[in-house]
Amino acid sequence: MMLQRSSGLVQYSLIIAMIAIVFVYFQTRTIDVEQHNRRVDLLLQLKQAEGKLDRDILQVTSFLLVQYDPFVETTHEIKSLSEKILIDDLSIGEVDYHLIIDKYLASLKDKFELLERIKSKAALVRNGLHYLPVLIDNVKSEDILIGDELSQILNHIYHYYILPSELDTLTIINEINDFRNAYNVDKSENSMIKDTIFHMEANLQLSHELLLLRDNYMTIPSDKRFDELYDYYNNYYAEKSRIAEIFSLTIVLFTVALLIGLGFAINRIIRERNRSEYSHNQLVDAVNSLSEAFALFSSTGELILYNYRFIEFYPWINKRLKNGLTLHEFSRLNHDNGLVSENVNDDLQANVTDMNSLSRTSHIEHLVDGRWYLASDSKTTSGELVCVRVDITDTKESEIELRKLYRALEQSPVTVMITDTQGTIEYVNPKFVETTGYTEDEAIGQKPSILKSGNMEDEDYKELWETISSGNTWSGEFQNRKKDGTVYFESTSISPVRDTSGNIINYISIKEDITTRKKVEDQLRMNATVFETASEGIVITDTNNVIKTVNPAFTRITGYGLDEVIGKTPAILNSGLHDDEFYKELWSSLNSKGYWNGEIWNRRKDSAIYPEWLSIAAIKDESGDVQEYVAVFSDITRRKQDEEQIRHQANFDALTKLPNRSLLVDRLSQAIVSAKRLSHKVALLFIDLDRFKSVNDSLGHVTGDELLKQVAKRIGECVSESDTVARFGGDEFVIVLPDIVKANEAADVAQRVISAIDQSYRIFGREIYVGASIGITIYPDDSHDSNTMLRNADMAMYRAKEAGRNNYQYYTSLMNEQAQRRMELERDLRKAVDNNDFFLVYQPIISIKTGDIIAVEALVRWQHPRKGVIGSDIFIPVAEETGLIGTLGRWILKEACLQVSDWKSQGLDIKVNVNISSRQLTLGLETSEINDIIKKSGISSSLLMLEITEGFLLDGTRPTMKWLNEIKKMGIGLAIDDFGTGYSSLGYLKRYPMDTLKIDRSFINDILDDKGDASLVEAIISMSHSLGLDVVAEGVENEGQLELLKQLGCDKAQGFLIGKPVRPEEIDLPKAINM
Amino acid sequence: MSYDEDSEKVKLGKRLFTDVRLSTDNSISCASCHILEDGGADKTRYSLGVNQQVGEVNTPTVYNSMFNLSQFWDGRAATLEDQASGPVHNPIEMASNWNEVIGKLMSDKEYVDAFSRIYENGSITPDNIVDAIVSFEKTLITPNSPFDRWLNGDENAITEDEKKGYLLFKSYGCVACHQGVNVGGNMYQQMGAIKDYFSTLKRDLTKADLGRFNVTGKNEDKHFFKVPSLRLASKTSPYFHDGSAETLSDAVEVMAEYQLGRKIPEDHIYKIVQFIETLAGKHKLLRATP
Repeated sequence: MMLQRSSGLVQYSLIIAMIAIVFVYFQTRTIDVEQHNRRVDLLLQLKQAEGKLDRDILQVTSFLLVQYDPFVETTHEIKSLSEKILIDDLSIGEVDYHLIIDKYLASLKDKFELLERIKSKAALVRNGLHYLPVLIDNVKSEDILIGDELSQILNHIYHYYILPSELDTLTIINEINDFRNAYNVDKSENSMIKDTIFHMEANLQLSHELLLLRDNYMTIPSDKRFDELYDYYNNYYAEKSRIAEIFSLTIVLFTVALLIGLGFAINRIIRERNRSEYSHNQLVDAVNSLSEAFALFSSTGELILYNYRFIEFYPWINKRLKNGLTLHEFSRLNHDNGLVSENVNDDLQANVTDMNSLSRTSHIEHLVDGRWYLASDSKTTSGELVCVRVDITDTKESEIELRKLYRALEQSPVTVMITDTQGTIEYVNPKFVETTGYTEDEAIGQKPSILKSGNMEDEDYKELWETISSGNTWSGEFQNRKKDGTVYFESTSISPVRDTSGNIINYISIKEDITTRKKVEDQLRMNATVFETASEGIVITDTNNVIKTVNPAFTRITGYGLDEVIGKTPAILNSGLHDDEFYKELWSSLNSKGYWNGEIWNRRKDSAIYPEWLSIAAIKDESGDVQEYVAVFSDITRRKQDEEQIRHQANFDALTKLPNRSLLVDRLSQAIVSAKRLSHKVALLFIDLDRFKSVNDSLGHVTGDELLKQVAKRIGECVSESDTVARFGGDEFVIVLPDIVKANEAADVAQRVISAIDQSYRIFGREIYVGASIGITIYPDDSHDSNTMLRNADMAMYRAKEAGRNNYQYYTSLMNEQAQRRMELERDLRKAVDNNDFFLVYQPIISIKTGDIIAVEALVRWQHPRKGVIGSDIFIPVAEETGLIGTLGRWILKEACLQVSDWKSQGLDIKVNVNISSRQLTLGLETSEINDIIKKSGISSSLLMLEITEGFLLDGTRPTMKWLNEIKKMGIGLAIDDFGTGYSSLGYLKRYPMDTLKIDRSFINDILDDKGDASLVEAIISMSHSLGLDVVAEGVENEGQLELLKQLGCDKAQGFLIGKPVRPEEIDLPKAINM
Repeated sequence: MSYDEDSEKVKLGKRLFTDVRLSTDNSISCASCHILEDGGADKTRYSLGVNQQVGEVNTPTVYNSMFNLSQFWDGRAATLEDQASGPVHNPIEMASNWNEVIGKLMSDKEYVDAFSRIYENGSITPDNIVDAIVSFEKTLITPNSPFDRWLNGDENAITEDEKKGYLLFKSYGCVACHQGVNVGGNMYQQMGAIKDYFSTLKRDLTKADLGRFNVTGKNEDKHFFKVPSLRLASKTSPYFHDGSAETLSDAVEVMAEYQLGRKIPEDHIYKIVQFIETLAGKHKLLRATP
């Protein structure tokens, strides 16, 4: 039935396919024809238009067509037809065809181009033909004879144009030449005759050119191209038609073939059916002769085929068979008759599984009467169920017996392995798997030697085999290896197993893993060894710290033998170098944490003191009570020495990780040697950070250190691998460029470094800015050794700082001279201090309100024996640096006070301001000293005011604060000098006991021109007043400034306008009265 | 070829033709240079584009341009459609581009509606804009001139002088180039066919002076220009591609000198000018008298 249905399906689909083919066939045919007609039509239209163009051209060149509108129309038509053909070409999609079209269209394009030329040229010729008669008429009106002759020539020209075959141009040209000669036209005054001849010649020339153009036009092979196109297309169409015909014929043939095939197929199906009936009968006979029970259920579950054994196996189905039996009913009947099914265990399953059968399930059926069937149900590919039953009652009973024994083995806590007499493993229990890591499958079939660790002697195995093969039990220990490679110990006993007749058939070995036990034993053994052989000294004491034992290393290090120390305490080693506090801490750590370690100095038996690294541990029992103390120590005398060595040798700066000074000098020397040999240059850049000190002072060393690290990193990024960046010390860095050609390469690096350092830093949440001043020196231009280079670069760096910071300077010999001069200055200054070659000048300070002098500022001058008077700005910095300011400062103070006293004796109460440098404080200027000076001079302390700079305050230390407060207490005034040039804010000043603020001259200078400065000064004044400070404007030089300051509320003024610093006797004293 | 002057498409085209939004700064439209009531061109030598930029050639009339064999002086546009987008994109003319123009037109509801009614794809596209403008331009023809009427048999349509002008026009050979329905516009000719025009100029030569050479790249085409139609010549001074002739008489005189090779009498020039004036036909947008 199935076969019949499927053959019917084939027939239907065939018919549908055939109809479809025929339909498609006719469809393509009809479309082809229609398209074909359209294409042919298009081509012919184009050809026709082109023909019209050709015809019109011929007319134009024969002057028969006098207006060009038809061309416009025709060219537009051809262009539009060409576009259509191009679009249609896409639908054909043949490359060759496309090329042919292109060629044809190209020839049309050529035609258009010539066409335009022909039009222009023809117009010019025609122009002449129109105009020549007019000209000749004009000639005739003057000279009828010449006119006639010209008419004659013109007629010939016309004649030639109309019937070119009877005349040729040469004849006409000769005529013209004759005329030209006869009337000497070239020299004639008659412009009309000249014009006529000119136009005639031009006309002939143009007409000649026109004919050439026409001939060119005619030779354009567009006809041929069109024919190619047309032929190609017709061939293309013919080919298409031919293919279509072949196609249709093929379809017909194919259809016939299919029909014939169909007939054969149907015939075969009928024969197949007959054959299958015959097979069925044969099958029934075969299954009946089987000793197994057999049944076949259809895919819908109906019993189709069975044998007699099947009924014997399941007698209860017998009476149901007549009405047909389904699989479902079969199961129910079995269940009703007490049949129990159980799954087959794996071994059995493995035995009965036939790999060829598909989706087979097996199970065991247990009947009430005690019989056992092995049932196997298989699905065939067509969904039928094949059931085969075998009676296994006998084997099943013995299997149950075996299973009990088997379980015992499986659950045994010891490892069991059974081998055959050759030693091949036949069975292992789960404990074996657990112990060795080998699975059952991996172990069975192998020899026990897979467990060999290699640590056993062959002798051992030999003895084993001899024992068991002679029928005896062998017991002993093995060191074996697990699958994962770990070695373990097991205690084994191996016994032979005999069959009923007494032959040995198997060996059974029972094993126990004893690795843990072994390990504990080994540990103990090892501890003892360590104790004896360790290079560290070990001391074990009891809870009272009495020594129980020591090891040989102890004796070696301390010199004390075991006998000498047992029963004593470790105090015998006490060096006396550690105080009680040290030992108290040691014991407290030991008691609280259970251990202590650290460095300790002890004394050997020979009294030598040595350092040791000591670790003490308290050993506790289970309950946590200390049982004993174990102290392990090593002599670190040597290590100490090594460390010292390392410190000496260390070449790198710990903070920045940059090479340090010693390594720098090393590298610089190497670079010089190499540069000398290869004659290139070495540059040394000496970098000093600007403002670093104030960062360090105000934000602390931690911030300063972090800043140095970041600076070091940035510098490192500015140079190449081969260059050396070193930290020279503090905030000084040095770069060595070991291989440069031109000195200005160093400037590039310097500029990069300055820009890099100048960027802001973010440290601990703060924005910080520093700059860099760089000095550069070049080997061999400036110097020839590393020390001189460093000195030169340092010098150049100072020059860079003087030049306004954040820049670089090359070392010049001039700098050296300046350095020399400075040394000279220093020498002279020392001499001057000894000789007291100084005098004071005084500059008045007035009250702006009254204009009265209310104070003077004392300023020191140096009367140099050779150079004359030298200002304080020249020598004070040197004095500060050298410490000479200490002596000099005291003298100034004393001198100023004496002067005040002098004035006082003249009845003048003039206050004096004296500058104090912070350097004087560090040089130990005590407030008591100042007090003494005042007392000695006999003036009131209120007449003295000390001027200090912001830098003085920036120090911010307690001693400074204390010093200032004491000065204040003494009644001496305090002024902040040059305010605005430093970094202090007004708020900052509040913390100090200041009375007066002096605004730096730089703000006053531009106060009239710079609004910013003016408003800044105003702000300073008003804030100062709010802080209770008097304000003095420094450097007032003109009335305008003074007036503005007055308006801004400034209290006092000082400057050249008011008075220059002068000797005391030169001061305009009348102004100073009534203070 | 007839175009319904009142069709919606033509109206749309007219609106676009006069819409300044076709220029980048909304300052000029097509009609700014092609002044419809004034001969379809402007009276300047060179027209001004956006930002007062000066053009390179004299603006030709838009009237009767559909009869021309090609567009522009050098004929670089084969059709009116090709021509329309030229000035829109020319940086010294409208200096815009279709994207910009369409963006502006899209914001005008009337345009959106009109395009959606008129065009199948219903949207404002470059093709549709050009199509509308060209439809409008094709209505710009000026039939029924006195000369046409005379040709059709109305003996009194033109005066005796004008008839003499016509004869002179023919006998001097002008008609060789200025022929056809548009009295020109259907061919190219060299400026200075008989006498070199460009070497006598008192100005520097420009690229535009090369004429058709700029299109074909061939030496033979140097200084060739499209022969302009004389239909509305009486209304479209100044003349020539460089706008160098201020009056029609000047133009005739120059043509005689350089295309013919001689000076012709003033009364002949006058009559030829009179004849040319009879060629001007009518259009409802065109102002009747000059």
